[in-house]
Amino acid sequence: MSSDIEAESISRNKGELIESPPPTGLLIDRILGEDGLQKWVFYLPVAFVVVFFAIPLALTYVWSVFERTRFWMEPGFTLFSYINFFTSARLENFLFSMYHSAIAVVIAFAVGFPIAVFVRRRITEVAQHRVILLFILPFMVSEILRVFALRPVLQRNGLVNTVLLEVGLIDEPITVILFSPTGVIIGEVLTFLPFIVFAGFLAMEAVPKYIFEICEDLGAGSWRTFIDVILPLAAPGIFAGSVFIFVNGLGVALLPNILGGPGAVNAGLIATQAMAALDFPLAMAVSAIMMTTLLVLLFIGHKLFDLTRIMTPIS
Amino acid sequence: MNQMSFTRRAFLQTAAAAAAVTTASALFSIPAFSAEPLKIWTIGVAKVGAKDWSAMEKQSGIKIAYISKSARADEAIQKMVVGDGNKLYDAMTDNGGGMEDALASLKVIVPIDSSRIPNWKNILPRYLAGGEAADTIRYDGELYSVPYISNADSLAFNYGEIGQELTSWEALFDSQFRGRAAMQNDFGPTLTNTAIYLKQSGKQDIMDPSEMTAKEVEWVCKFLIDLKKKGHFRTFWDGFGNGVDLLASEEVLVSSCWEPIQVVAARKTGKDIRYGTMKEGHQAWNNMWMLTRGGKERGQEDAFYKLMNLYLSPWFGARTLSGLGFTPQMKGVMEYVKSNPADFDAATVKLIEDRLVRKEARISVAGNSWQNVFPKNLRDYQDWWARLQAA
Repeated sequence: MSSDIEAESISRNKGELIESPPPTGLLIDRILGEDGLQKWVFYLPVAFVVVFFAIPLALTYVWSVFERTRFWMEPGFTLFSYINFFTSARLENFLFSMYHSAIAVVIAFAVGFPIAVFVRRRITEVAQHRVILLFILPFMVSEILRVFALRPVLQRNGLVNTVLLEVGLIDEPITVILFSPTGVIIGEVLTFLPFIVFAGFLAMEAVPKYIFEICEDLGAGSWRTFIDVILPLAAPGIFAGSVFIFVNGLGVALLPNILGGPGAVNAGLIATQAMAALDFPLAMAVSAIMMTTLLVLLFIGHKLFDLTRIMTPIS
Repeated sequence: MNQMSFTRRAFLQTAAAAAAVTTASALFSIPAFSAEPLKIWTIGVAKVGAKDWSAMEKQSGIKIAYISKSARADEAIQKMVVGDGNKLYDAMTDNGGGMEDALASLKVIVPIDSSRIPNWKNILPRYLAGGEAADTIRYDGELYSVPYISNADSLAFNYGEIGQELTSWEALFDSQFRGRAAMQNDFGPTLTNTAIYLKQSGKQDIMDPSEMTAKEVEWVCKFLIDLKKKGHFRTFWDGFGNGVDLLASEEVLVSSCWEPIQVVAARKTGKDIRYGTMKEGHQAWNNMWMLTRGGKERGQEDAFYKLMNLYLSPWFGARTLSGLGFTPQMKGVMEYVKSNPADFDAATVKLIEDRLVRKEARISVAGNSWQNVFPKNLRDYQDWWARLQAA
């Protein structure tokens, strides 16, 4: 055995090209080669992205320029759906839902990120993941039930109004917290808060604890430490969590449906309603615009924060 | 006989027997397929009599395989046109007044021969040729569907809080209910009912509330936009549970909605929530059965017609009316109920009688308009609805 290795080493050193014999035997053996399945495993993520992301995305763009027929669509090229989107009230609805989602992101960050920092700094390492896992518990319940459960809390005769009336803080029920943009934002924050906590925690895991000690030793206050040290280091994770909330706020139709005011919509609901009217090219155009928005956001985020750092702990 | 000749003879005999079996199977393939259950793609409210489909099977004399279906038009179209719907389903249900046109024009359903449904003689006259609802089950004048439930949607109101009967859509738009009113989050019924009110009250000159021109759609939407800006509507409900909750929680006192929403809201809370008859009229609608092209090709016509015969029998009509509050599509329901006292106690008989009277009152209002799922100016409906949403 050792002499074989030695011989191979010598031949390589001499610059000789040693060709392995062509694979023989069954077709499957020839496909797998000497490395067996190993070399193909690396292509699985690529295949997954192509089949479940790239092809559907491409089809969305293709169908968005098809001609609408009365009950279906036919191949062709028209920008009518895009023109209709940008020149109708749909654009206004889309921008409003972006605005509300952005507010939800800011609130979720303000509430969720300190939780992540607290868990990372104050909880023992053994218990940290268990505490974070608690945030998964709400996901055991169906999303529609979680959102619908907010109604008895926020409605006219709901928990919030009953308590505030009982303690005498208000004379009339507050109606602006449900069936309004505020209701939708509350729903988005409560529904998606765990995502910013997860993302924040993962980002904070990349910040070694000794950095906090160094900051303290150098006399940096909490605010300066947060702004100058924690935020830059955790920025990729925070951005990823924020994008997740933002995009869900745009796309999850049941939030404006259950918590929004008369006719409240987001981009997801605009597409759904276009589908219900059998306007498939318009629905595809709305979806394509949403996807483009997401891709642009990710591109900007990557340029600003280098999103690959999410997966790379600080050395 | 050597081994070789024996083998060859045996092979030929086996081959002949196999050919005979194959031929017989081909000749008698229809009865063989018909033994398969009828695969129906429908909504839960299409059954009565038991929690599962056993009562429907027993009454119709066929085997049924039920597959749950949503009410979304796009899902039905996609499944039947580009999906495998014709392989999976023998029969399906959807909204009349549009979906039969869509599915028939796309050739995924087949015409229906009413002479193969003995109870067709019982069908309500409005569905016969020339009747006001005849078009809702026909495509290009040819019969493509069988209605099994219908209703005329109206206004639900909290009588306990309001203290008076409401008999006009005027109440829904009245400032006394500002912030306590709701409508459906669907431009079809919401714009049609509003158009009926505006037309019949003389506020707007609208020819046909179910088939409005672009200008008429604009008038109706501007009327609603003005109210929305004043904060008149608490919300637009979407989905059965959502509609029930709004009334049950008293978040709204008046809501244009489906009758089962009012029935469940009243039953759930014990409150006096009622369903009125609006003097201006209502949007009437139906849901209907269709035979898929695949169902016909698989030889399921006999089973389909047996099931349709049940749907047009008073046995089904009485039960869908008493249980869910949907209007029977056949004559003779009250006679059937009274002649079967073992099946219906006195309270149920009275409930059915009351509901029939109220439904008759609603469906008889001159200003009613039948549902049109896909009006000609659909784009204007969509665009103006988006403006109402953005307002």
